[in-house]
Amino acid sequence: MSRKKALKGKGSSNTPNSSPSAEKEKGKKVSSQANGVVHPSRPSLSNSGEFYDIAFKVMLVGDSGVGKTCLLVRFKDGAFLAGSFISTVGIDFRNKVLSIDSMRVKLQIWDTAGQERFRSVTHAYYRDAHALLLLYDVTNKSSFDNIQAWLTEIHEFAQQNVVIMLLGNKADATHERIVKREEGEKLAKEFGVPFMETSAKTGLNVELAFTAVAKELKHRELKEPNEPKFQLQEYVNKEMKGVGCCRS
Amino acid sequence: MEERDRTGRTGQPQHRINQPSTARERANSVDAYGFQRSDDFDYETHEQLMSEYLAVLTRRSIRWAKLLQGRRRVDRNLKVKRYVRKGVPNEHRPLVWMVCSGAQEQMDRNPGYYQSLLDTHHEPKLEESIRTDLHRTFPDNIYFRKSAEPCLQQALYNVLVAYGHHNKAVGYCQGMNFIAGYLILVSKDEETSFWLMEALLSRILPDYYTPAMLGLKTDQEVLGELVRLKAPAVWKLMQDQGVMWTLVVSRWFICLFIDVLPVETVLRIWDCLFYEGSKILFRVALTLIRHHQQEIAEAQNLPDVCERFKRITRGAFVEDCHTFMQKIFQEPGSLSMATVSKLRESCRARIIADES
Repeated sequence: MSRKKALKGKGSSNTPNSSPSAEKEKGKKVSSQANGVVHPSRPSLSNSGEFYDIAFKVMLVGDSGVGKTCLLVRFKDGAFLAGSFISTVGIDFRNKVLSIDSMRVKLQIWDTAGQERFRSVTHAYYRDAHALLLLYDVTNKSSFDNIQAWLTEIHEFAQQNVVIMLLGNKADATHERIVKREEGEKLAKEFGVPFMETSAKTGLNVELAFTAVAKELKHRELKEPNEPKFQLQEYVNKEMKGVGCCRS
Repeated sequence: MEERDRTGRTGQPQHRINQPSTARERANSVDAYGFQRSDDFDYETHEQLMSEYLAVLTRRSIRWAKLLQGRRRVDRNLKVKRYVRKGVPNEHRPLVWMVCSGAQEQMDRNPGYYQSLLDTHHEPKLEESIRTDLHRTFPDNIYFRKSAEPCLQQALYNVLVAYGHHNKAVGYCQGMNFIAGYLILVSKDEETSFWLMEALLSRILPDYYTPAMLGLKTDQEVLGELVRLKAPAVWKLMQDQGVMWTLVVSRWFICLFIDVLPVETVLRIWDCLFYEGSKILFRVALTLIRHHQQEIAEAQNLPDVCERFKRITRGAFVEDCHTFMQKIFQEPGSLSMATVSKLRESCRARIIADES
């Protein structure tokens, strides 16, 4: 499926040129990138200078202002500096190597502009993504209402087996909250995607969101034929923390 | 002397009265436009550059004063073009930008228009998308902070809302917040900023900011074609690594180099942008790429390519804006508007065909 998509060259409008041979070569490249996870026989050195065994591409998507960049910076650097972020224009990425069951998993995390018109520029990147973290802002109803449109977009452009996780961000903002936790749960259930609430500000479930996705991807890639499937939602339910209390 | 040095390092200021200060101590931690300098700002290099650049600025200031002689008109001729390329002094920027771009004429022809846009009923969706970005526009600038008096966020909001209603096809596109922000910082006037914005978006730049972003997609491809001609090693690398141009250059075009290059360099580029048009953006991009052709071509993989494209926008090469501006007219070689127009036409047709 993904191979077909890649060869069809959905994003070819953005390719720098279209001499036929170059186009073909590019298509091939993308598809091998999309299907073939990096499996170095010996550990590779990531750009940040860290060794890793396996690498995946994760994309952050969701409406403008839901906190994608903040979530990423919290995860990457453990920091949250209120009011220090500028709107993301275009697309950017950061790497982080995680240790999952004694394996070094590199996540290449792509941060995208949320505004609708930028999607025509960024959706070409969906097809290479192994996982998508779809965010809404619990203090912003329309960001929640737009989740369905985002999922439609994802299904159109991403690989069929892409891992999707729904995140209700800014869960710390108790007073401004408009979207109830139960509403998020219900929507996630409807679409069959795992869900949790996060806070880039307090760090709530931020690490978990990325770790859970990394675990799922690693299991998928390396599991033995008779090994049971990794249960992402179960894992998340067991590990996640609620706002202001410990649900674990 | 040795004693003083030691006390200086232990941080006891009372003993340091006659001690030579460091470049960091001599310079303000906030630049001339209100931007907080980053922790890793290189004060030593900056001071060296400024000592030379201040002489340039003074000379240019005198020349421009003589040229303008207090009049509010700027002719179009080779001399003025040369003057613009050498940099418009801060005190004349709003005037020169307004007159050269035709914004002044528009403003004079439409008295009260800006205010009438502010007075109309505002589209809630437009308002919301602008509000989302208000506190995310230059949080590192002291004039845009909530605590600033007056806080420029209100002016920013007004200019963007007015523009969104003036040009409904564009409305608001992220990136416009940064452009309006710079215009406000330079002109210190909302209405002037609005008309300069109008000149940029409706006359100088192609359709970068419309919902289809066709102009942006086109110019990214045009740059690709120009790189193919003028920096073939980089073009080949982009092919081999399967990197789309949008990934590395979309911000260059959308933000007109804001937050990509140093503030002073951006303003010098904008001097030419207002006088000569959008072709200048290609000159800047090509200079950055061609000058670092070798370095970029050595990239090993896609993240490495992205990293190198970021690296080439930092450092002495771009900080030294006066030399950099000379370079952009030499490094890429000849670049006629006819070439650009022709490439725009063919790239646009290709994108439209691909998208349908």
